[in-house]
Amino acid sequence: MEEELEVKRKALELAKEIAERIRRGEFPEIRYPPNSQKNILFDEKVGYIFSPRTFSRIRGSRVKSLKTLAGVLYGLSRALDHLENGLTMTKRDFYYVHKVERLKGTLFPEDQRETDARIVLMELILGMPREAFSITSDPRGWIYGDIELIDRSGRVLRADQVGEMGYSVPPRPENIKFKRIGVKAVVAIEKVGPAKNMIELGIPEERKIAIAILQGQASRSMRRFLRMLSDEGVPVAILTDLSPWSLRIAATVIYNSINSAHIPYLASPEARFIGILTKDVEEGFFKDYQFALEPLTPADLKAAQDNQFLPNLQNEFWQRENRWFLEKKKKAEIEIFKAMSPTAKKLKELFVEYLREKLDEHMGISI
Amino acid sequence: MSEGVRLEEISAADFFYRNKSLAGFDNPVRATYTIVRELVENALDAAEMAEKPPRIQVLMTEYRGRDAGSLPWYRIVVADNGIGLGPEEIPRAFGRVFVSSKYRLIQSRGTFGLGGTMALLYGQITTNKPFKVTSARVGEPIYEITMMIDIQRNEPVVLDRRVLRGISRTSFTMVESFFEGNYPRAKRKIVDYLHQTAIVVPYADITFIDPDGNLFVFPRSTEKLPPRPKESLYHPKGVDLELLQRLLQATKARTLKSFLTKHFQRVGEKTAMEVLKLAGLPPEKKPSKLTNEEIERLFRALKSYDKFLPPDPSVLSPLGADLFESGIRKELQPEFVKAVQRPPSVYEAHPFIVETAIAYGGQIKPSGEIQLYRYANRIPLLYDVSSDVSYQIIKRIDWSNYGIKSPEDEPIVFFVHIVSTKVPFKTVGKEFIANVPEVAREIELGLRNCARDLRIFLSRKRRKEMLRRRYELFRMYYQIIAETLEELLGERPPVENLLERLRIRVGDEDGGGAGGKEEGS
Repeated sequence: MEEELEVKRKALELAKEIAERIRRGEFPEIRYPPNSQKNILFDEKVGYIFSPRTFSRIRGSRVKSLKTLAGVLYGLSRALDHLENGLTMTKRDFYYVHKVERLKGTLFPEDQRETDARIVLMELILGMPREAFSITSDPRGWIYGDIELIDRSGRVLRADQVGEMGYSVPPRPENIKFKRIGVKAVVAIEKVGPAKNMIELGIPEERKIAIAILQGQASRSMRRFLRMLSDEGVPVAILTDLSPWSLRIAATVIYNSINSAHIPYLASPEARFIGILTKDVEEGFFKDYQFALEPLTPADLKAAQDNQFLPNLQNEFWQRENRWFLEKKKKAEIEIFKAMSPTAKKLKELFVEYLREKLDEHMGISI
Repeated sequence: MSEGVRLEEISAADFFYRNKSLAGFDNPVRATYTIVRELVENALDAAEMAEKPPRIQVLMTEYRGRDAGSLPWYRIVVADNGIGLGPEEIPRAFGRVFVSSKYRLIQSRGTFGLGGTMALLYGQITTNKPFKVTSARVGEPIYEITMMIDIQRNEPVVLDRRVLRGISRTSFTMVESFFEGNYPRAKRKIVDYLHQTAIVVPYADITFIDPDGNLFVFPRSTEKLPPRPKESLYHPKGVDLELLQRLLQATKARTLKSFLTKHFQRVGEKTAMEVLKLAGLPPEKKPSKLTNEEIERLFRALKSYDKFLPPDPSVLSPLGADLFESGIRKELQPEFVKAVQRPPSVYEAHPFIVETAIAYGGQIKPSGEIQLYRYANRIPLLYDVSSDVSYQIIKRIDWSNYGIKSPEDEPIVFFVHIVSTKVPFKTVGKEFIANVPEVAREIELGLRNCARDLRIFLSRKRRKEMLRRRYELFRMYYQIIAETLEELLGERPPVENLLERLRIRVGDEDGGGAGGKEEGS
């Protein structure tokens, strides 16, 4: 609620300033810190830091700039309208909000990229994430485990008693409060299938851990939620495939990404990437299962090549991991456990054995 | 000529009858067009000779419908407000081919110098009907003469002669003839011809009622006539062997020396003596006494002597840039027009002047092809455009230098008018101009000259358009901004003030010509 008021205050302030300039017969302009490289720092200990040193101006005296200025104002007016009526919209909705008759020839967008870019601009101008001004993503990510939380509406929920996959992390997790945390750690898992198996096998209950299901790249809300858990002192472990993409998934949870660098509290620098690591395949847990590796696709290989230059993958660990893809041209998926286990009983043993070994090795936690 | 062939002497009319294609009568379609054209040109010449703004009326009706295997016959009547002819002159003017003796040099309109006689002859050949000429001078009787041409003897045969009225208040000539032809297929060319003529003769009123009953009116845009060309003598380098022979036969000069000074421009006594010395001929020799071999020597001496002054261009009668532009404006209603008259120049001892023009925009529409109007001595050339030197020059010029991406796809029309005592036609068909370097150079310079003005016009126009669009965008965006701010703050800010300022700025830039470039952001 406070946040809603802040959005409104900031938006109206901007509107007043523009109106005032127009009244004075001046061309209005909006000053904001762009999310350019210059304004983004990277620090291993905290991840990406948005540190505005340069500012840009959206000027009402230039045709191209004027379009952006009108677009930002229009976008904010729509956002406030949604906010006041307790309505959210997706990026796609926001795109359609511009596909209206009276905006033909002006703000009527050519494609969604145009309005998506406008959203980022609004975030930079207000200094707030889009979720704060009602533009949310479809929720993605669940948390399962012995965690009692109080959600936005004030209900108390237990994250292992709200459905098969647990609690679906809402777009704006800021409003959640933790009542009780009964887990030793949370394991964030890239893939839905293996994560569900662990839940189905009763591992969270038996081992006192929580499972966070990322379903691919972690959503902004999931990353924010993991950070909240981390801030509560819950150790966060990350389990992904061994692939060029998965390096990015893990690094994004830990450091945040360039695209959302201007949004604070998305990084969890305390989180640890526990696997699958190259040494697990080369000499560790999976060394006898080389045959179950997958070849890299051309897109995978391209991703590995690009990884060499990503700021958040620059330290020796990430680069060493990444070199392995370039050399071996192979990858391992979490589903490899299935290839190792003829029975469900065996699968459970392997999961537990792996998690125990990894949590101990990387985080000093015994389960 | 091979031996044993008996040479038969034929009259000029007979010659024409046997070689119809030479004069543009190859087929009924072409003939229909040529008849209209020849009679109209005759009429224009008559009016211009009277130094009056021409008023030409053409009426064409179907006289006998098409029946199995034969084309329709048409009746054509062409009337002008020209000098008018007396009863004795009419048979001579219309009843004989090659009626004028062209021993003098002057720019004339008719491509063959035959006037309308060929046209009338064609009608007579195809229908076997006589033609009628009605004419009068102010204050004299109006005569109507019905006549035919005796082809073998090349002589007029007057069938009827009557006085229609004792005293005419105006001078005029009206020709009426019948011919077999094909109007539907010639229609486009005829209308094109009249339209293009109306451009190059902007001081003429032309009306045409066609066999379908359509009325075409080409009103004049000005009463001003271009100056009449002066007659002058031949330039010694501009004659061919045949003409030289004829001149030698016809001259009244008693010595070669006086023959040269009397019949040629730029030849004084000193020059005449030098030429004759070069030819190895005695100056006192009688011109008519020269042998063929001597004539050839004289001819070669005239060709090789290199100290003649260039020919006198005052024989030429160009239209002038103002009249040209006036004609183009009235017929095409362009947004931009620029005509240029190049200074007189010379090719092979023939003086010529090139006039060029470019018209752009307005009622002109792009056609997907180069739109080029060509004229020679004020006659439109309608055939073989792509073989013409002007067409090739236009193809060669990089128009992007002048703000034109491709002349085929833009509303642009080019005009090239060449006036000369000898227009350098490429073929006997006389429909396109040959690639003579001197002429090509003048055409290119003229077109480029017009194009430079076009470029300035276009860049101003485009800049204006850009500023207008820019202002329009500003207006639309500030409209949105105003509405949004009104929604957010409950009050509409006065964006109109801002726009007003912008409009003034746009206006300023417009007046000041080229300004700064639009900056991106």
